[in-house]
Amino acid sequence: MAILLYGLNHQSAPLDLRERLVVADADLPAALLRLAEGPGIEEAFLLSTCNRTEILVSGDPSCAAALAPFLAQLGGGIGRDELQRHGYLHADGAAVRHLFRVAASLDSMVVGEPQILGQVKSAYALGRTAGTVRTVLEGLLQRAFSVAKQVRTATGIARAPVSIAHAAATRAREIFGDLARHAVVVVGAGKMARLAAQHVTAGGVGALTVVNRSWQAADELARELGGTAISWDRLFEVLEGADVVIVSTAAPHHVIGLDEAQRLARARRGRPIFLLDIAVPRNVDPRVHALENVYVYDLDDLRGVAEAGMGERRREAERAEVIVEREADAYIEWARGLAAAPTIVDLRRHLQDLAEAEMARYRSRLGPLSEEQTRVLEEFRIALLNKILHHPTLALKRAGARPEGDGTIALLREAFGLDAKEPDEGSGSGG
Amino acid sequence: MDAAVWWLRGALVSYAAGSLLGLVPWRRGRGPRALVPWCAGIGALLHSAALLQTGWSLGRCPLATLPEVLSALAWAFTLAALFVWWRSRLDAVLAIELPIAFVVLLLSRLLPRAALSATGPPAAFVRFHLTVILFGVAALSITFVASVLYLAVDRALKAKRPIAAFRRLPSLEACDRLAYRSLGVAFALLTLGILSGAVINDAETGAPWTWRPEETLAILAWLLLGTLVLARLGWGWRGRRASLLMVLGFGLVLLRMLGL
Repeated sequence: MAILLYGLNHQSAPLDLRERLVVADADLPAALLRLAEGPGIEEAFLLSTCNRTEILVSGDPSCAAALAPFLAQLGGGIGRDELQRHGYLHADGAAVRHLFRVAASLDSMVVGEPQILGQVKSAYALGRTAGTVRTVLEGLLQRAFSVAKQVRTATGIARAPVSIAHAAATRAREIFGDLARHAVVVVGAGKMARLAAQHVTAGGVGALTVVNRSWQAADELARELGGTAISWDRLFEVLEGADVVIVSTAAPHHVIGLDEAQRLARARRGRPIFLLDIAVPRNVDPRVHALENVYVYDLDDLRGVAEAGMGERRREAERAEVIVEREADAYIEWARGLAAAPTIVDLRRHLQDLAEAEMARYRSRLGPLSEEQTRVLEEFRIALLNKILHHPTLALKRAGARPEGDGTIALLREAFGLDAKEPDEGSGSGG
Repeated sequence: MDAAVWWLRGALVSYAAGSLLGLVPWRRGRGPRALVPWCAGIGALLHSAALLQTGWSLGRCPLATLPEVLSALAWAFTLAALFVWWRSRLDAVLAIELPIAFVVLLLSRLLPRAALSATGPPAAFVRFHLTVILFGVAALSITFVASVLYLAVDRALKAKRPIAAFRRLPSLEACDRLAYRSLGVAFALLTLGILSGAVINDAETGAPWTWRPEETLAILAWLLLGTLVLARLGWGWRGRRASLLMVLGFGLVLLRMLGL
């Protein structure tokens, strides 16, 4: 059995490829079930965020071949070359290590940001509900959560409130200084929009407006943040008076195109505007950034801002890497031990059966035995069995802990006839 | 006169120290930059003492030669920067303006001491003309610094590069606000300076306008600055190109001041 992880993230793939692979929440269960039906796949887990799309499966090692085509199909027909260039495949130990790093936020765009653990937990809950996360992945993911918790408590990685949203707030202040006299407009009312708006408005803003296609969601977020909700058809009217615009809708296309932005810039008579496009796929045409006094930042752009001045965080991240490495090694050793466990059990049972059968055969030839004699014989049988099993058990445990130990396990199974269907004939010839 | 030289040397050292301290990268807090306003303040005091001492020794306003004008200009630059720092606490403005003041003052010590203007109009009127021009150019130097800072911040934002924390650059809007406020002051003072200059010209040559190259340069700069003020007031024009033109305007005025 193998554990395989295939995917692409913000380091390996550009945003325009990542945004094609984002799966809407509503489509996730169907995609997960489709993945789990792949050849040789026993369990499956699918993580889709704006910064990564990764699939984790357990099953036959040959199922690795099905992972890339699944992702290609998920992205609406991404080319094989493109996937090969930007995707990565990790197997067994490397897959475990990668998963632990992701959950511990070491592989995040902003190292230490807290959102990723919640996203992994949501994906896990989805897998549990769909029945695609059972024994192996259940154990692995639970361990990943525990490692993430350990990293957060044992290191200072999450001490500073740095996140993409925080980086966005920093950049907004670089443009406008104090935001207390500036207008912020939030386009969209999802989780990311809420989070970014909370950070940007934390120091106080002049006015806050929420625009969303669903009036109810807009009104809810506006109430929460102390702003006002405006209907979608008044979007551009509101933008004319806005300074910071957080755009995060689920629209699969540009909500603010080049033409609209040009009209907007003219209407604003040169006043700068900061468009914070945290949607994936992007909601603001990237060409808008070329317009004078208009600044458009997407998720990738904010990473650069977020990474500045992160020396201390990097040192903490190095400490966190040590924890992840240690925990991953421990898990891998444990998991490999599990691989040898069935053989150890089979071997003990096999020898026990043999000993009991032989003992029964020879005992009848000894005639009636006293209780004491019976006890001594039983002790002799157990002691002999334990002595015979001692070295093979150690050898099996060692073999289980080694990546190349499968051969030793197979050899022992063959040597003791553990996989033989018929009862061992040779055992009856003794005596 | 010797005392004035010593005051000036002291001012030069203070400006130089402030300029160097302003360049020290410091990540946590203001660090050595906290000393820059002190250096500027001490330099300005010593410089004021030198100007007063010079005027006292000469028995006239020390604005009759190009070195004297440049020295007074460096003094006005420092005062303008200190004023801005006092109002807005923008370290970056002082960190750029002080080296400019230092260079201008150094230049004033190196140039030959040729007389600037002939007799003609009343000395008090020439003093008024020179004073408004002096402070007009000082205000424009603030516009220049704010525009340079605006261009630096805009460049970083457009290139999507993080702005190094130790540079302590003001926000884009703070740069824009400072540039236009100082431009307004500079334009008003320079308008007064050009009008008074025309009166002086008329008294000296019989014509307010003689089409000398330095006069044309001054008018060109004034027209450029006037256009910028109007474009901002009328259409709210701002941004990178406006900042570049403000830098150009200051360059033209500085050329005129140096008499090149």
